[in-house]
Amino acid sequence: MEHPFPFSAIVAQEDMTLAIQVVAVDPSIGGVLVLGDRGTGKSTAVRALADLLPPIKAVVGCPYGCDPANPKAQCEACRAIAKPRTEQRPVPVVDLPLGATEDRVVGALDLEKALSQGIKEFAPGLLARANRGFLYIDEVNLLEDHIVDLLIDVAASGENLVEREGLSVRHPARFVLVGSGNPEEGELRPQLLDRFGLSVEVRTPQDLGLRVQVVRRRDAFDRDPVAFRAEWDKANRKLRQRIVRAQKAIANLKVDDDMLMLCATMCHRLGTDGLRAELTLLRATRAYAALMGDKEVLRSHLRAMAPLVLRHRLRRNPLDDTGSGVRVQRAIDEVLAA
Amino acid sequence: MTPQETARCAQVWRDAQLVLLALQLDPVGLGGVWLRAGHGPVREAWLAGLQGTGVPLLIIPAQVDDERLLGGIDLAQTLQVGRLVQLPGLLARADGGIVLLPMAERLPQQTIAHIAQAQDRGMVQGQTAQPERRTRFSMVALDESEEDEPALAARLNDRLGLWLDLRSNCLADTSETLEPLVAQELGEARHLLQQIKPTQAQVHALCETALALGVDSLRAPLAALRLAAVHAALHGRNALEDEDLAAAARLVLGPRATRVPDAAPAPESAPSEASPPEAPPPDALAEGDPDQITEPDPEMLIAAAMASLPPHLLDRLLLGKAANKSAGGQGQSGQFIRSKLRGRPLTPRPGKPGSGARLHLLATLRAAAPKQRLRNQPPGEGKVRLRAEDFHVKRFAQRSPSCLIFALDASGSAAMQRLAEAKGAVELLLQDSYARRDSVCVIAFRAAGAQVLLAPTRSLVRAKRALAGLPGGGGTPLASGIQSAMQQAHALQRAGSTPMLVMLSDGRANVSAAGVGGRAQAHADALAWAAQWRNSGFASLWIDTSAQPDAQAQALAQQMGASYFPMPYVQAQRMATVVQDLSGSLRKS
Repeated sequence: MEHPFPFSAIVAQEDMTLAIQVVAVDPSIGGVLVLGDRGTGKSTAVRALADLLPPIKAVVGCPYGCDPANPKAQCEACRAIAKPRTEQRPVPVVDLPLGATEDRVVGALDLEKALSQGIKEFAPGLLARANRGFLYIDEVNLLEDHIVDLLIDVAASGENLVEREGLSVRHPARFVLVGSGNPEEGELRPQLLDRFGLSVEVRTPQDLGLRVQVVRRRDAFDRDPVAFRAEWDKANRKLRQRIVRAQKAIANLKVDDDMLMLCATMCHRLGTDGLRAELTLLRATRAYAALMGDKEVLRSHLRAMAPLVLRHRLRRNPLDDTGSGVRVQRAIDEVLAA
Repeated sequence: MTPQETARCAQVWRDAQLVLLALQLDPVGLGGVWLRAGHGPVREAWLAGLQGTGVPLLIIPAQVDDERLLGGIDLAQTLQVGRLVQLPGLLARADGGIVLLPMAERLPQQTIAHIAQAQDRGMVQGQTAQPERRTRFSMVALDESEEDEPALAARLNDRLGLWLDLRSNCLADTSETLEPLVAQELGEARHLLQQIKPTQAQVHALCETALALGVDSLRAPLAALRLAAVHAALHGRNALEDEDLAAAARLVLGPRATRVPDAAPAPESAPSEASPPEAPPPDALAEGDPDQITEPDPEMLIAAAMASLPPHLLDRLLLGKAANKSAGGQGQSGQFIRSKLRGRPLTPRPGKPGSGARLHLLATLRAAAPKQRLRNQPPGEGKVRLRAEDFHVKRFAQRSPSCLIFALDASGSAAMQRLAEAKGAVELLLQDSYARRDSVCVIAFRAAGAQVLLAPTRSLVRAKRALAGLPGGGGTPLASGIQSAMQQAHALQRAGSTPMLVMLSDGRANVSAAGVGGRAQAHADALAWAAQWRNSGFASLWIDTSAQPDAQAQALAQQMGASYFPMPYVQAQRMATVVQDLSGSLRKS
């Protein structure tokens, strides 16, 4: 994208923009799933994500952008260098197109080199490029099954293992998965659903004032993207600073036992499987508190984050058709009232 | 043809001519055109006009493969020169022009996704690791679908600013044509287009009109705004006037209408909302100059938009149905299942042949070709070294046949006469589905339980015989009816077809799932099974057969996720058309 729409210029859609900011503060929350109607600005928001992120330090020339400060998460080549030179890079936000082949995603034999020089070498794929950044899949519910399998595997291990065409390569691939899609067009496999930390549902705003505002801004942007971005530069920078501050603050943010109990009770009440939901709920609540600039984690933070974390993790009860949002809200009210 | 219809057709053709000029002036800004028209002289005349504008056109056939669409390796060249030669895809080549999509209603989902993504991002990423290419294009999607067939996928038509329907135009209309702009006019109009800035009130008016017409997507008012600007520039103006907004409402918003606005404008649409709740500073800069006082009138715009609607469409809108049936994701009926043996070919995948999968020879050779040097194969020997890892297998997408399950309420509450009419409708549908190679299954429920009257079949004779012998009367065991339909649906799904349920009942359950009388329990059971049905994800349609439709059947239909259609006086022919209409959208969910 040459000129993405500025993030701070997105009108309304509070849930979606909030979820994206929270994940930007703490990527370990594990990604955002945005489900909703056509023409709501789902992909616009995600593609504007790069605006929010401060640059990262990386080993010079490393195709995976290894972190010089964290040898454990480095590729073999970087680990072999004693004192690597470093450079600043923007956080990668990589678009995974729907029809991408396996080769493109995991990487494959470098055809150019194989043909011209007869050398067998690995050409990194999209997973390599997304390391330490974000991997965005538009229409994630339409992704082909074999690519989904691949993503589920890599997203869990944080490592891409390539054993094909006589190549044997292993490289770090830690990324935040961001998906968007229209639920009318297909369901998501539960295993993939589980890989997303937060989920939000978006709708077209029905308020006329908001709609006018959306149309005006988009129209101004289409007319002159460069000038429009310049207008919003200041707001974007402010937002970025807020996220950087939150990233720093998060380490000092204490979560007391009472809060842990609340998280556990809430997950238990809703019958979510495993500990992943609790952990994600805790992390999201903490990141949200940091983003709000608060010194401690409050119940109000939990209340704000719980729907985003839990909505897509509920077991479906075939005879209870109450919307999952309603069920989550009921559990939140019950637990927090106690 | 009535004089009104003739006049309307003439207006549609004039608009179609206007669209040509709009495309010439602003080929990429409008997103494109959804052209609904059968193959024939009218469409040819319009396309000839499009050619005449001189905008670069690129045809992308419906069966295009991903490699051609997005770009990939030029195998022949690569092997000849011994280094990697990339071939830019069609979408990259379309930069600055118009992509023509013949038979767009048949485009596979994946192709639509690629095209939509490339248009949104203004970039296209090839299948190999080559850098992205810039591409800005719009589309002309030719849609030949008939009334009862699924039309262009909503994902695509949402992005196309202009919707033209030339289906009822005849050759006589096409005599009137507009000359394309000459270079000088084009330059002047482009210059004007850059200067045009809509005022707050104008944006407001278009958004309000869109909302009043039930147009949800925000791409629509944006496209309308763009068309208004283009319209103004074509008329030599550097500011928008009411006439431009009216044209935009007629061409962009009208065809998208999903409801007829109330005669009286809603009270909240007063101009008090002229300033958005919290207008941040950057917007204030773009505010229109205050001397532009002519406030456009949304009512006038709505009238303009309504003018573009054909009359029978209005009837349908009033009945509460969507203007077009392409609400679902894909533009084709039936669910697709992947098959190794037959169907429409998909891109081959790496994999071992055997266990039903057949080798895709070309893809295998293609995979092996670049690696020949690595495998120490001297060039020019005419031998290719293949390894197991090169193997690619064929894949196909197969349409699974649809099966309509009719659940007929044959109880005493559904009066006998209506039962006879419902039977007639099933017969009519059977004739249609026979032509479409769908099958039909009939379940009747009355007294203590449900009975499968007719196992899935395409036989007209058997169906008639089974229906003729159906007795009526007794209680309404609705839960058993849905349960039985559910069993059929699961069996059908296992057999590889896509089940759809058409429920004909008044919804007044009075026999529980266990076969015991009692309204409360019967209704609760029916609700529970309706929820089960919804969770199964199968499509359904509820036709309320009671003389006075009440909330009960509607609640059940909602619980079931069914489209609800009250039909106090079932008439066989009329019901058949309704089911036909709706089954198009049913089968996509």
